[in-house]
Amino acid sequence: MASLASDERRKDGLAMKRFAYGGLLVLLLSGSSAGTVAQETPSPVPPATTAAEEAPAPTPSCSDCHDQAKHFLTNPHARGAVTNGVVSNDACATCHGDGTEHMESGGDTMKIAVPRGKAGSDETCMLCHDVATDRMTRRGMHANSNQVNCLTCHSIHSSDPRSPHLVAKPQLALCGSCHTQSASMRNKPYAHRLDRGGMTCSTCHEPHGRRAKGEQSQAIVEHLRTASSRGRMPEAPCVSCHTEKRGPFVFSHGGAEVGECTTCHESHGSSNPNQLRRATVKQVCMECHSPTSTASLGSQPPSFHNLSLPRYQNCTTCHVAVHGSNRDPQLLK
Amino acid sequence: MTRNRWFLLALCLAAMNLSAQTMPIDVEIGYRWTDISGNEAMYRTQINEDEGLLLRALTVASQDFRLDVSDLGIGPAGSLRLETRRDGWYRFNLRYRKAEAFSALPHVALGQHTFDRTRDVVDADLEIQRWGAIKPFIGYTWNRFEGPGTTTWHVGQDEFLLSQELSDTDRELRAGAGFELGPVQGQITQGWRSFRGRESLTLAPGANNGNNPNPVLGRPITIGELTRDERTDVDTPFTTLFLTGQATSRIRLTGNFARFAADSDTDGTDDVTGSLASFALGRFFSGIAESSTTRAKNTTWRGGARADFSFNDKLDATAGYRREHRELDGSALIRTLYLQSITFGGADPRDVEVILNATNALEREEDVLDASVSYRPLAPFSFRAGVSQSHMDVTVAPDLSEIVIDGGQGGTFDRRVRTIFLDGSYTLAGLTLGASLQRDDADNPILRTDFVDRDRYRLRAAWKAPRWFRIGVTADETRQENDRSDVAYDARLRQYTADVLVTPIEALQLRASASRFRSDSNILIRRPENFTIEESVHLEKGESIEGGLSFSWSRLTFDGDLSRFENEGSLPFELDRSRARMTFQLRESFGIGGEWAHDEYREAAFAVADYEASRYGVFLLLRR
Repeated sequence: MASLASDERRKDGLAMKRFAYGGLLVLLLSGSSAGTVAQETPSPVPPATTAAEEAPAPTPSCSDCHDQAKHFLTNPHARGAVTNGVVSNDACATCHGDGTEHMESGGDTMKIAVPRGKAGSDETCMLCHDVATDRMTRRGMHANSNQVNCLTCHSIHSSDPRSPHLVAKPQLALCGSCHTQSASMRNKPYAHRLDRGGMTCSTCHEPHGRRAKGEQSQAIVEHLRTASSRGRMPEAPCVSCHTEKRGPFVFSHGGAEVGECTTCHESHGSSNPNQLRRATVKQVCMECHSPTSTASLGSQPPSFHNLSLPRYQNCTTCHVAVHGSNRDPQLLK
Repeated sequence: MTRNRWFLLALCLAAMNLSAQTMPIDVEIGYRWTDISGNEAMYRTQINEDEGLLLRALTVASQDFRLDVSDLGIGPAGSLRLETRRDGWYRFNLRYRKAEAFSALPHVALGQHTFDRTRDVVDADLEIQRWGAIKPFIGYTWNRFEGPGTTTWHVGQDEFLLSQELSDTDRELRAGAGFELGPVQGQITQGWRSFRGRESLTLAPGANNGNNPNPVLGRPITIGELTRDERTDVDTPFTTLFLTGQATSRIRLTGNFARFAADSDTDGTDDVTGSLASFALGRFFSGIAESSTTRAKNTTWRGGARADFSFNDKLDATAGYRREHRELDGSALIRTLYLQSITFGGADPRDVEVILNATNALEREEDVLDASVSYRPLAPFSFRAGVSQSHMDVTVAPDLSEIVIDGGQGGTFDRRVRTIFLDGSYTLAGLTLGASLQRDDADNPILRTDFVDRDRYRLRAAWKAPRWFRIGVTADETRQENDRSDVAYDARLRQYTADVLVTPIEALQLRASASRFRSDSNILIRRPENFTIEESVHLEKGESIEGGLSFSWSRLTFDGDLSRFENEGSLPFELDRSRARMTFQLRESFGIGGEWAHDEYREAAFAVADYEASRYGVFLLLRR
């Protein structure tokens, strides 16, 4: 069995390497094609012209006054609007409208549209982005007020250079500026590693999603990443990484099947090494496994479980397969 | 490590190729050293930053191409993200993430599980955009979790420490198409997922006598040898579909459906020799030979529909319905041969075979109905209010072998939760005020910790002066309870946070925040050893203070942060963290950076867990 496993590992190791190097190949090829576009930058010495050939005065460009327009060359919103290494005014006009009057008035800020607030988001961002997907909508929980809308989190002209999708700041700082409760839970000693190579808030959360409705659902909490635009399976985001906890198990743990992972675990940070919601394992377990008179799900431990003895205080010492077992009805292996 | 070096080298070569082609590039690569005193295992469990080569960051970006790398190299976590596209042709995304998971706490009793494992995840998606309205795509995900660990096995009133080797691999292939047919858009996906789990266990060296030093009925319980192997295969085809379209200029309709059927097969063997006892059999025995074949199936589907109404630019509303159905069936055939057994009195020597043929089932159905309205009467104001109702119906039919004491493990459970929420915000001239409240009201709990009543409140006020000042305060409170006399569940979580950001000059930014949280939870529990009812109390009082500054002058940048977290209550501890980072740009395209991080962890009740750890890093910065 061990050799089987190592064979499997070796095969997957190869697959993994192929993937990594395949990705690099794509990177190289993409670089070449991207470079082709970039190499179209004009020669620094303009071609000589005679007085007779002199063209009419060139059309003023946004970048004549706005440095932002010069730096827009690598922005995804400049896609298709770069000619000879210069961002055309059309790219700016997509969001700011026709700037002719603004230019003619010598830069009157009243004569140019500047998208702001929800109306700004709806009239610019959502014209293009509210299509062909069920995950981005102007009715999402983060796109519905002047307080929170597309432009609250995304900065088109001065986004964080090391973050994708033009977000204004690294995600942890961005989300944490409003969701202070979740952010400060990270101060606890046991938490998922966020940023610096680790996860980000959007690894689990769908920031464009709708407000969560209902509760007690392992499969669907809509503000969590359950079914992305690429059609993933409807499941809790936790098991997207922790695949070994997904099951199905012959002897499943009722708490996981009826409740959620967060019935026992605190995902944002915990004082318990297993990121439990209580400081000790027995406390988590006993709060459900104490059937008093109400009909609730949770069995009664036999009386030899003497909680005053240390060996019975860590339930998972024996019930090791606490997420579910295929081999033992009492989850002992 | 060798693989990592080659990988980093290849990555840098690729980046140089891009760099040579005038794409902006930003690279930070260097080496990190560590200096740890105190409990190193605790440090590794909490932080686990290691010593070695580190590609701290690499970003290459253009309109059609973006590569972001963060912390690839030495652990504990690293990621790579590649997005590239050519309009009218394709869009390709590749993500890779590595995470090292370590856990080994100070030993207070045998049975502390440990692990030192790595998870690698590769995720790739390719969308073809050649056919206008129809965009086929294909995706692949690979997730590997493997490494050693320790676990335990309970037999005959004793627990034995086992060494564990685990290798779990999950692969997913998906294909489908997004489409846009007139006013209707949508996407259909068919996927196949396969999970392959391999686990092998042996008795840990020196663990022959187990956790319990006392003999059982006068006979010492020991294990001579133990080997256990388990193979789990899960195959899961799945289908997802959604459609959305503008029914009228003011109404948008969306429907979605998803279904998966996970089919799991497991084979396992156990071979054990020793001097053991079984109270279920009432016998001593000298070994176990066990084989098991099990099968479990989870079939889940969900479907829903939603209508979004836009009455005008100030008022919109949404209403939706969703149903989810889940069926879980399991069957197991486990054959256990207890070798050379004798009764506790020493009579009737023979092998005893026990065959367990178990079947169980669970069925869960959930309906959720919701409606909400958003209203923005004047520009600075916005309000949102809504109601929803979720109804869950669960039937659990456990196998008799699962039931040690009757009650609490099977039956039909029903729970209905009604929710009402209201949000309001005011935003004008840098001032933001926001408040939200939500009330949930349930009829029955299914688990004892389910609430019957829950209230959530949130207040946020912030003021921002252009360019130089921002201050904000936030208060959160969640209270949930079940006032039934036999449960008496009452939990309350409060949190208050204040943060301030000052930018007196463009080159200098000062920041500080303070937060305080308190968590109280009480619920009645029944002690199994004497059936007495007592209160289970969990209490946490935490205070966190953070402060930092960022400074940038000419070619020099500096970032520093200090934080202190104190926790009182069920598990008191203190955690001090310091971070500093300085960079100096020697030339426009070349600079150096230094980093220092320090963490100090102290537990009030268990000083053996304390540690102090410093990390130092030197990095080269390349930019063009």
